[in-house]
Amino acid sequence: MKKNDLKNALKREAPFFMIMPALIWQVLFFFVPFFIILGLSFVTFYGPVIGQIVTFNYYLSLCDNAHVRIVARSLIFAVLNAIFCLICAYPVAYFLARRITRWKNFFLFFLILPFWTNMLIQIHAWFFILERNGLINTILLKLGIITTPLHLANNIGSVFLLMVYCYMPFMIMPLYSILEKLDQRLIESSYDLGANNWQTFFNVTLPLSLPGIKTGLFLVFVPSFGEFVIPALMGGSKHMFVGSLISHYFLMAFDVQKGAAFTIASGLVLLLVFVLCNWFFSKKMRTTKGPSYAAFTPESLPSDVNSGE
Amino acid sequence: MRSIRLENITKKFDGEVIIDNLSLTIPSGKFFALLGPSGGGKTTLLRLIAGFDQVDSGTIFLGNQDITHAPINERRVNTVFQNYALFPHMNVFDNVAYGLKIKRLDKDVIEQRVIKILKTVHLEKHIYKSITQLSGGQQQRVALARAIINEPEVLLLDEPLAALDLKLRERMLIELIELQDTLKTTFVYVTHDQFEALTVADYMAIMNQDGQIEQVNTPKQVYEFPVSTFVANFVGTTNLLNGTLQLKDASQKLAIDGLGQFEVAVSSDKSWASDGSAVSLSIRPEKIDISKKEEAGFSNHLKGIVQSIVYHGRSTQYNVRVSNGQLLQVFEQNEEHFPQEVIEYDDEVNLYWQKENAVLLEK
Repeated sequence: MKKNDLKNALKREAPFFMIMPALIWQVLFFFVPFFIILGLSFVTFYGPVIGQIVTFNYYLSLCDNAHVRIVARSLIFAVLNAIFCLICAYPVAYFLARRITRWKNFFLFFLILPFWTNMLIQIHAWFFILERNGLINTILLKLGIITTPLHLANNIGSVFLLMVYCYMPFMIMPLYSILEKLDQRLIESSYDLGANNWQTFFNVTLPLSLPGIKTGLFLVFVPSFGEFVIPALMGGSKHMFVGSLISHYFLMAFDVQKGAAFTIASGLVLLLVFVLCNWFFSKKMRTTKGPSYAAFTPESLPSDVNSGE
Repeated sequence: MRSIRLENITKKFDGEVIIDNLSLTIPSGKFFALLGPSGGGKTTLLRLIAGFDQVDSGTIFLGNQDITHAPINERRVNTVFQNYALFPHMNVFDNVAYGLKIKRLDKDVIEQRVIKILKTVHLEKHIYKSITQLSGGQQQRVALARAIINEPEVLLLDEPLAALDLKLRERMLIELIELQDTLKTTFVYVTHDQFEALTVADYMAIMNQDGQIEQVNTPKQVYEFPVSTFVANFVGTTNLLNGTLQLKDASQKLAIDGLGQFEVAVSSDKSWASDGSAVSLSIRPEKIDISKKEEAGFSNHLKGIVQSIVYHGRSTQYNVRVSNGQLLQVFEQNEEHFPQEVIEYDDEVNLYWQKENAVLLEK
């Protein structure tokens, strides 16, 4: 009897035991570091008085042009990257999901192939293409189009190019999966009701793929805001980004408190954009509940409509 | 309203022939039902008319206009899909208004027409509801409204009531008939349910498993005078007796192994019926009289043992084993609370039918 009770209790609490590893992981490697960083950004070890141990000085010291410019640059870069990825990825995902029937798995395989390659290797591969004696310059020189090698690598353009390149699959995948699931009969009924290809795309396909667009934009935007590797390797260390500045504070300048404050502050900027974006999408995706025309309200219905029982 | 004429239509999918050299005329302004078993190519035929699929060969006419290769959106044909295919991101109004918005009509005109059509289908109280808030029957009405608001020449309905429960289905059938009466649009109604087809159709076509049309006629003609054993079996239920025709002298008889000889009526249009040919006799269960007593005045008589009795409410079904081992179904109306004659299991009964009430079919 007792044994059974224990067994039942174990059975009942099974979900709890199952989530324990994930929970421990989350607490140890996310919440604990996060609160350490949060704490560090307010704490001073060198205050004149013991009572002045909590301070906002680190945050205040961030309110200068240099820091604002770096956050703004990262923000613009991340937004442009997300939008550019969307523009490039949508046609790819659309054709993969809805137009191509043969060789589909073959193309999908090539799409996920970069995931199997280390990002550093991918970035270094681009050097072979972009550098002074790289592929493009060699070809252009041989063809006589240019006489001196172009400066292609190690500038802000090449950083952007690599960001788009590296984050493109993160945009294609959610778009592909939502377009793949899109009910063909909805498309057919749009044609059936008289819509042409473009009308069907803008009235049915695009609105119904909004959840995929949203996921893709976030998947690209959030990590590219804090992107550290690409600017470090391709940026030629001329332009600072949020990621590079954080690593600078922690690893080069050893100004842990200021680095922590900057981390929290830039995180808040990210959160703000995230919330705004989420709000925009949820507004777009909600089914129109009220009248779609301003002039058309329930009160303006012909009286016999409302009086019908 | 216009007619649809299909001439020598052939459609293959991955090399498999779904529809083979099919010709069919759907009269204009009529409620036309296309009845056949599932997977027989009915929906394919509908998709060819709507333009979702292209024929491999053959011609499709809408009235006198060849629409075989016309784009979907230029065909004056609208479809009510099996699962409605309503736009989930739009409310009832926007779904119904879709076709008119595409035509860029005036907002006032759109409003008026949408409200009018929603009143026709009794949805005027749900104008701004989202599709997911509606019941199955209401979604069905939205799909209907969305299709008829464009005033199509032909309305295609692909098993539109399959997802509804029986009571609702019966009500929707009546509403569909009334709607067709007012609109006078040509309705093409695809179904595998013979009850639905018999109820709604002015004309019906019976399609077999191989995508061939077996018979086109009014429901009554199809039910009373099926032209093949497939039609006799698929539309309603029937008893099929196999035997050999004997057309000697003036008498027309059918010899059935183990049962004896029976009188049959061979109509002049059955040119294949000759002396000695193997045929099937189709007798509808309700055309057979069942009694324990001897009765006079019937051209045919058979004895059997009651094997089982199924009570249906308005009628009772008797399954009777006759001397060649075959089970015959007999329906009898339950007209009285206290019938004079009570038939029980294992009773020996007499079965009677008139020769004119049985149909001779090519085997």
